[in-house]
Amino acid sequence: MTMLATSLAKSSNGRGSAIGAKANPYCLDTADICQNAMSKARSRLLMGIAAFFLSFVLMGARTIELGFSEPMAKRPVAHQVVVEPVEFARADIVDRNGEILATNLETSSLYANPRMIEDVDLATRKLIEILPDLSEADVRNKLASGRKFVWLKRKLTPREKWEVNALGIPAFQFEREEERIYPHGRLASHVLGYVDVDGNGLGGVEHFFDARLNEASQRHEPIRLSLDIRVQYALADELEAAMRAHEAKGAAGLVMDVNTGEVVAMASLPDYDPNNMRGVGDLERFNRVTKGVYELGSTFKTFTFAAAMDHDVIDFEDEYDATKPLRISRFWIRDDHPKARVLTVPEVFAFSSNIGTAQIALDLGTDQQKEFLTDLGLLEPSNLELTEVGAPIYPANWRKVSTMTISYGHGIAVSPVQLASGIATMVNGGRHIPATLIHKNSDWVDGRQVIKPSTSQKIRQLLRLAVTKGTGGNANAVGYRVGGKTGTAEKAEAGGYNRKALISSFIGAFPMDNPRYVVFALLDEPKGTRETHGFASGGWTAAPVVKNVIMRAAPLLGVSPVEEDEGLYHRVAMMIADKKKR
Amino acid sequence: MRRYIPLLAAGVALLSGAAVLQLKYAVQEQSSQVKSIARQIHLDQEAIRVLKAEWSYKTTPSMLQDRSLRFLALMPPHSEQIIVSPGVIPFRLNVDDEVAPDPGVLLTTGPVKPRAKKKRDSRGFRLQISEKIKHKIEQNAQVGEAL
Repeated sequence: MTMLATSLAKSSNGRGSAIGAKANPYCLDTADICQNAMSKARSRLLMGIAAFFLSFVLMGARTIELGFSEPMAKRPVAHQVVVEPVEFARADIVDRNGEILATNLETSSLYANPRMIEDVDLATRKLIEILPDLSEADVRNKLASGRKFVWLKRKLTPREKWEVNALGIPAFQFEREEERIYPHGRLASHVLGYVDVDGNGLGGVEHFFDARLNEASQRHEPIRLSLDIRVQYALADELEAAMRAHEAKGAAGLVMDVNTGEVVAMASLPDYDPNNMRGVGDLERFNRVTKGVYELGSTFKTFTFAAAMDHDVIDFEDEYDATKPLRISRFWIRDDHPKARVLTVPEVFAFSSNIGTAQIALDLGTDQQKEFLTDLGLLEPSNLELTEVGAPIYPANWRKVSTMTISYGHGIAVSPVQLASGIATMVNGGRHIPATLIHKNSDWVDGRQVIKPSTSQKIRQLLRLAVTKGTGGNANAVGYRVGGKTGTAEKAEAGGYNRKALISSFIGAFPMDNPRYVVFALLDEPKGTRETHGFASGGWTAAPVVKNVIMRAAPLLGVSPVEEDEGLYHRVAMMIADKKKR
Repeated sequence: MRRYIPLLAAGVALLSGAAVLQLKYAVQEQSSQVKSIARQIHLDQEAIRVLKAEWSYKTTPSMLQDRSLRFLALMPPHSEQIIVSPGVIPFRLNVDDEVAPDPGVLLTTGPVKPRAKKKRDSRGFRLQISEKIKHKIEQNAQVGEAL
């Protein structure tokens, strides 16, 4: 740098001296003064050069620095613009396929500034034309009040808002609000629950996951339920049809994945529309699938048989005497479909013999039975992600007679979701998997082993034969290899059972050669019709519901209809003597 | 010549100043455009939320069933109507030994050809030629002969 500066100085010096050497035309006379002025000018010039030089050096240094530095942290203008995310107060709820079940939408609430209104009558009349459900006197009073702010109506539809805007009255103004919308209306209402006007969850999943749904950091992450809305509709539709046909007081149904415990559909009737909770009573809000506990009758025989087979108490070849009703202390145990003969074990199951099952339970023993039901989680409330979960009812003092009645599903009341969970365990190879309403990403979950896989296989054969040869024939959806068990229980009343008031149910699983889903249907006090020859039992009322649900849902769930391998059941089928004529 | 250099420099300076100004305005315009697009995206996202909700309202299964009953003659499928594997579909176009380049093959004139056709039939493939195409091919053959 110094070298450069001196060379520059020299060159300027040189040039200056050259000019000086030449006879300067402007300083002929006073050469001295001229010389002085020249040297002054030269030194000034030198300063100027130095200044320029310095600044160029600075610029060079800066250039080099920039060259070595990291890319600029400051981004161009266009990158500074961010799209502000859509804000809403509560996370969505979607089904397993991402279909929206509950979402928050922006709505507007109408308020007015009455001081800005000139013609109250005109404004009132025009507003009433658009919003006819407002009371005219009320609106007039509000608009004439002379206050600065009055609410007129909360949560207008977009169309109403547009029309109010079109009135062109500046006193009418809108406040942004959010509304919880359930696009599917009544469908899955008991699972979803509902919210109050301020968006607090009051029932169902909305209540159970209230904190998670309101959590600011997770609002953009919807809750994914295990429900499949298409299957849900198939179930609700069929239950509703059956409920109407049999004039039942209520109905409940459930579809569950046996390998993951996911509840694919859950319906309880009568139901409600969560979009409009006005006038909805406790009866509609009651979730029969989880909160309701019922004596479910013969479906419980499955557990008795599984326990007995798992403890090697019985085998297919054993026989039980069902010739006459069984007397235990002051009770009589009778059969609904009496055969009045000695029955083989598969026959006891297929013909749903209470007498035979009670004897099996006695052979099994009270302790084993109790332990087995505890293992299946039938003696404690289900862990389902709902707050409306009912606790099972069973005798505190488990006597011999309790053992016998519980073996065929009387004297113990459990919720349908517990039963479905238990049956899932029976058919999936013996793994107990807690029921859940949250979507799981895997389609296989390891569970606690309750029964041996070989026992599960035997139970599957029995369930299938109860449909092909026994009481559940109406559930046989051709091609889908349905297995299942009917259940008909009389309702308990003060001082005994009411023979007329039944809880008819059917629990089915399909396809039986590789079970994937459990389907449950229950009707509360159904009445027999001409089509059912006056019967109101589970095999006549609930089994067709299960059949129809399977026919409708199986293609959606990816279960393909194939011809059945009869060989799977051949050995057991041989032990069931008189096939029912259908 | 030297006198023009400052003029030129001034001109260049002016021009570049004007260009920078121009650029600044252009950037401002662009950035305001970007902002308005961002605003639009935000509005659209809100609209999409509403539309999604509306879509799921309008395609709720009960609604679809109602429409289907009213406008379509569709029924729930029977299990016999569901084909488990594509192998059982009766006729399948086998591309490899299909239509030879010579269109004459399709004509059933010679004694050899019907046998070929029969062979295909036995595989479950039915060849159908519309009358129009048949006529065309015949015509072409005639033209070829005439030439």
